[in-house]
Amino acid sequence: MTVLVLDLLSWAAILGGLFFMLTGTVGVLRMPDLFTRLHAAGITDTAGAGLLIAGMCLQAGSGLLVLRLLLVYGFLFFTSPIAAHALARAGLAGGAEPVGPSRRRGPGPRQGAR
Amino acid sequence: METAIDVTLLALLGLTGIALLRVYNLVTAAMLLAIYSLLCASLFTTLDAVDVAFTEAAVGAGVSTVLLLGTLALVGREEKRPLKRQALPLIMVVVTGAALVYGIADIPPFGAPDNPAQQHVAPVYLQESEAATGIPNVVTSVLTSYRGYDTLGEVTVIFTAAVGVLLLLATGRGRGRGPDDG
Amino acid sequence: MFAVAAVGILVSMTLALARAFLGPTVYDRILAANTFGTKTVVLLAAIGFLTGRPDWIDLSLIYALINFIGTIAALKLFEFGTLAHTRGRDRE
Repeated sequence: MTVLVLDLLSWAAILGGLFFMLTGTVGVLRMPDLFTRLHAAGITDTAGAGLLIAGMCLQAGSGLLVLRLLLVYGFLFFTSPIAAHALARAGLAGGAEPVGPSRRRGPGPRQGAR
Repeated sequence: METAIDVTLLALLGLTGIALLRVYNLVTAAMLLAIYSLLCASLFTTLDAVDVAFTEAAVGAGVSTVLLLGTLALVGREEKRPLKRQALPLIMVVVTGAALVYGIADIPPFGAPDNPAQQHVAPVYLQESEAATGIPNVVTSVLTSYRGYDTLGEVTVIFTAAVGVLLLLATGRGRGRGPDDG
Repeated sequence: MFAVAAVGILVSMTLALARAFLGPTVYDRILAANTFGTKTVVLLAAIGFLTGRPDWIDLSLIYALINFIGTIAALKLFEFGTLAHTRGRDRE
């Protein structure tokens, strides 16, 4: 009984994680500029990886394994926003332009510079 | 299932290699190389070579990326385009590749227990290393005990190389913050 | 269960790789490499469970750290022009 409940829960978590991971990556592929792509990639790193790792935790069995899985997620949880922030900062400084109504050149979709 | 994963990873590896050949921006090449070595390390993992995968991840994806980018900071970010396409390198690569593919036919099957590599000294290590060294992991016992001096030499070489690279990269910071800095 | 997870992660790895090939800016490629690393981390954990050797989580742990280092190095190069300076941009 408990095994069945655990299996169902981890199926739900893994399928949910896959959903977020795939939608996030489709977003990385389809979004028009760097900053919207960053937004989509953030979903992959937090919700996608988080739910997948939660599903694995339910199947892990031993406490040490759960601890290591949580460490993996902990690193992702802290490094992913830092990397995204640094990437947005470097992109803005380096000339990647956001799509949309621009302050300088009027509205209209435009790919990033370079 | 694992075969499907292997084939997919290998296909992605091939695609990354082709893309690497076609870019001229060197930073792009560095990022593609990082992806390439992540894929390599995943392949090593599925082939059960976890220790090699550790090294590939740490050296290939981590240190090499930093070193490549540090070099690019000094030498510029664009590769010169070739003036004309040359046929000789392509022919050499095709011939060498064909010879290697031909050689695959003589390789014993992967992981079979009666391979020559499994028959020579491997059984001795597998049976006696834990009693002889007290280390449960055979790879660790070979690296740190049976060939401990060898590993010590390797670590010394890598340490020296790391110190040298750090000295080369750290231009500017060690000279203080004077007006002629940089 | 983990087979489904591995296949899904491989599909999304392929999509991220497509973004790395397409570019167009260098930042897009850095972003693609970063998300690709995250997916590798999760894929290795899934393969570990799939093959019944979940101790491979240690490998995922290493990758989660390594991937971050590469990304930060690339971004530091772009923002400051060098890996050594801390305030290179206004001192050049």
